[in-house]
This record gives sequence, structure tokens and C-alpha cells, in this order.
Amino acid sequence: MSATSAIARPGCAGPLAWRDRPIIEAHNLTKVYRLGEHQSLRGTLSALTGRRREHHTLRALDDVSFSIARGECFGMVGTNGSGKSTLLQVISQITPPTAGHAIVRGRVLPLLAVGTGFHPELTGRENVVLFGTVLGFQRRAILERMDDIIDFADIGEHIDTPLKRYSSGMQARLSFAVAMMFPAPISIFDEVLAVTDDEFTSKCLQSIESIIRDGRTAIFVSHDAGLVRRLCTRVMWLEHGEVRLIGPTAEVMDAYHSAHA
Amino acid sequence: MAMPAVDGDVRSGPDIDVLWQDVGLELRLEPVKTRIHLHDVAAMLPVIRVLAVRDFKAKFKQSLLGPVWIFLQPLALLAAFLVGFHAVATINTSGLPYVVFVLVALGAWTYFQASLSMGAVSVVTNAQLMQRTACPRLAFPIASLIANLPSLAVPLVAGVTAAAVTGHLSPRVLLLPLGLLWLMAVTAGVVMMTSALNVRYRDLLAVLPLILQVGVFFSPIGYQVSDLPGLARTLIGLNPLAGVMETWRWMVLPIPPPSVGLIATSLAVTIAFVLAGWFIFTRSEPTMADVV
Repeated sequence: MSATSAIARPGCAGPLAWRDRPIIEAHNLTKVYRLGEHQSLRGTLSALTGRRREHHTLRALDDVSFSIARGECFGMVGTNGSGKSTLLQVISQITPPTAGHAIVRGRVLPLLAVGTGFHPELTGRENVVLFGTVLGFQRRAILERMDDIIDFADIGEHIDTPLKRYSSGMQARLSFAVAMMFPAPISIFDEVLAVTDDEFTSKCLQSIESIIRDGRTAIFVSHDAGLVRRLCTRVMWLEHGEVRLIGPTAEVMDAYHSAHA
Repeated sequence: MAMPAVDGDVRSGPDIDVLWQDVGLELRLEPVKTRIHLHDVAAMLPVIRVLAVRDFKAKFKQSLLGPVWIFLQPLALLAAFLVGFHAVATINTSGLPYVVFVLVALGAWTYFQASLSMGAVSVVTNAQLMQRTACPRLAFPIASLIANLPSLAVPLVAGVTAAAVTGHLSPRVLLLPLGLLWLMAVTAGVVMMTSALNVRYRDLLAVLPLILQVGVFFSPIGYQVSDLPGLARTLIGLNPLAGVMETWRWMVLPIPPPSVGLIATSLAVTIAFVLAGWFIFTRSEPTMADVV
């Protein structure tokens, strides 16, 4: 599954060098989901014959435009169903937009929810290999980092336990450890710190701060306003799939807070 | 236990940047009808390999006998054919021992059955991975084709060995790789089709056991196509496995070749399956994560 187009250019091209252009640009991104299932044979038949077209749709993203510069920690806030997860899925190439387009100048490591695509029957170690391979790494590179990953996640011999026996906290630690041992040009953290204990959370925050210092980019989604204020340089507030406000963290978070007080 | 978190914890440095290899990368994400092209499949091979190993392991986790099932399944089928066909009726095997006759074709069925059972649900089973990573979805059905190769190898090796031991091995056995390719093409087409359709229409889960229960009788495992009455002989070619099995038998055993009509029909249906599978899968791939 390649992207729609991948243009590899040498360091400098056009008026702006590749490195100086926004790492993510979203132009009028819209995503419409069709809701409802085929509930009855009759409904299916009439839909097939075109006599009755059901149009229960949900506009999960509505004309969303923004851009993120290289090296930013970009926050996203919004209530459940505001479109945050859909937007992250579009940026991570998991689902294409219905309209509009986005340009992504770098590889993305998405941590979307706890236990990012882990398989319950496999051990932690096997899952790390699977996840790393999906990200495009060679087996050797993954195995070289295995000890560091086990150290960071601090799960010791549980690395050889099937994932279904992990607590959600342990799953979050493992996925976070993978992300930190393969720090990507663009990392996406969607509520991954919701289930970790205070000690591990603060370790993660320091790590995110250090990948930003190294010039990498992060997108950080959390319902914890304190975390967003601490980490993010700018924040986008989504509501009903639309951008309500984009700006410096303090400004957006203050507005968001007073709206939800 | 407490490990003081130091900033240096994060992996950094030039090796990491080399690892991601994305300098100059510019992805354009926009509405599309299809995202997979034939030449992308090669890039999926590492993921396919890991998924195939995972599927093979997961199949036998929490199972007492584990991979022994790969031997028991065809053995049970063989016993069923010996009792159900051979013991009650005289079957024309062109003078070959019945066990050899059945074993040579049996692997095609056990492989098809195992791959389809795993492959048809492969996209749905991997919903988590699909909704949270950009894992290439075509890798899911293809991995089940690889993970079930033991179900092909075990009966086939047994069949070829039995033919050799009883002195019935034909030198045409060297052509067998072509026959294996044919079987994998049939299976790939059906698995791509069913795995993609199953994302939207779970009716498939009801139809699948039916296909598998009936299919075993509509495949010439325990009998030869040439012994069927006129109309049935023509229609069975529509089951591409009929062409595969008869061809395998002709490649391994000293018997006359199957009819050209049967081979042509089965080949045509195979090509149709592969094209339809590819078309249906690639067309529904972009929205799979939304629909599942």
C-alpha cells in the first residue's frame, strides 16, 4: 500500500528547502462515514435496486485545514466524536479523506490508543517484531533494540508472556517503548498516557520533550489539559469535525476550558 | 524497580534517521479509488512473512496437539474416503492403489480448506492492526496462503512418497511446481475475494462452512472426472480445484492426461477468480478500516 504519490527529491528543490516546509499540511480535509448496516434482506434488496437509497452519513471531518512545522509538538483537543481520531487515521494513511488533501513530509509512527494493533495470542517480543516490521524496519534492527525496549517498558520477563495476559498499563508501556526506541520523524500519541501510572507517565513526558528537542515532530492528543499545556507549542481545538480554534497552547486551552467549564 | 528517567533514554542520533529514510519524502493523501498496485506487493514481503509466522503460531496456541493437527486432518479425510467411497463402491483408479490415488489429490483440498478458513476472516481478524497502523491490508490474505503451506506439503509429500514406494511415480513429477502454482492462484483469488467481501457482508461466515462441506464432494479427490456422467463431467470443471487435482494426479502418477475441456474450463475459472479477487480487494481496500 504505497501512498498516493511519493516524490523523493534531493535536499533542495523549489523556493523552500524540503526541511523548511511544513511537515504536515492539511487542506480542507473532509471525511464522511456511511452509518448503519444492511439490517434486513428487504432493505438490502431495495438499496441494491436503487429504489430506496439510505443516506445516513456522518461528517467526521468537515473542511479541516492546518499546518504543522517540523519540530513542533502539536496538541489536539476536543470532546469525544469531535474528529480527532479520524484526523489522525487520515494522517497515518489508515484511511483516505473523502475530500480535500493532506501532504505529509516524513514517516509517521502512530500510537493510536493503548496496545497499538498488538495481537493477543503473541508474546510481547513477537508483537514488537510485528509492529516494527509494519513500520518498515528490518528484523535485525528490531532485535538490536529489543533489550532497550524491554528496559524502557520495564516489563522484564513478561516480554515472553502472551499479550492477552498484559494489563492495559503494560500494553501502553510496551507500545510507548517501541515508539521511543524508534523515534520517528512524526510521532502521534493518541491518549496513550491515559492508563499508565504517574512514574511511567513522567518518564514518557520527558521522552517526548527530548524527541522534540532533537527536532522531531509530535502530535499529542489527551483529555488531560495539564499534559497538553506542559508539552504542546500549539493546539488545535476540534468540534463536530470542524476546527474551532488553532493557536498558541495557552490561548486555545483557556478558550477550550471556559467553553467546557 | 524505579528507574530514574533520563533524557538520554530516547534513541537518537544518525542511525535512527538513516533507519527511517524519509529525507525528501512527500506523501499526498487524497480521495482515491485504489491504493494498491501490483508492484507494491514486493514491498509487503517482510510484513507478509511476519504475519504468516504469526498466523501459523497463533493457529496452534492453546492447542493440546498443536501442529500434529496438520497430520491428523488429512489422515482423517483419507480414512473417510477409504470408508465412504472405496469400501462401498468400486472406483476406477486406473489400476492404482486407492490410498496413493487419494493422497496425491488430497493436499490440494486440505490446503485450500485451511487457507480459506483462515484467509476469509483475515482482514476482519486484523481489524485492530488495520485501524491503528498503516499495515498493508493485502498482506493479511496473502499471509494465510503462506501460513497454511504445511497443510499442502504434508499430504503431498506423503502422496508422492507413496507413489514412489509402490513404484507408480511418473517422471512428470518434475512439472509439479506448475501444479502448485495453479493451486495457489485459485486459493489466492478466492481468499482475496472472500476476505474483502467479509469486511462488509458477514453473511460469508454462514456460507463458508457450507462451501467447504459441499466442496469436498464436488472435487475429484476420491474419484476421477472421467468416471462422471456427461453433464457432471462438464460442470465440474467450473470448480477450478477439479482441474488442479486431475493435473496433479497426471503429473505424479502414470495415468492418461485429463481432458482438454476440463483443463481449459478450470484454467479460465482460475483466471476469472484471480482477476475478480484482485479487483474486489483493491477496490474495497481504502475504506476497509472504516467499514469493518
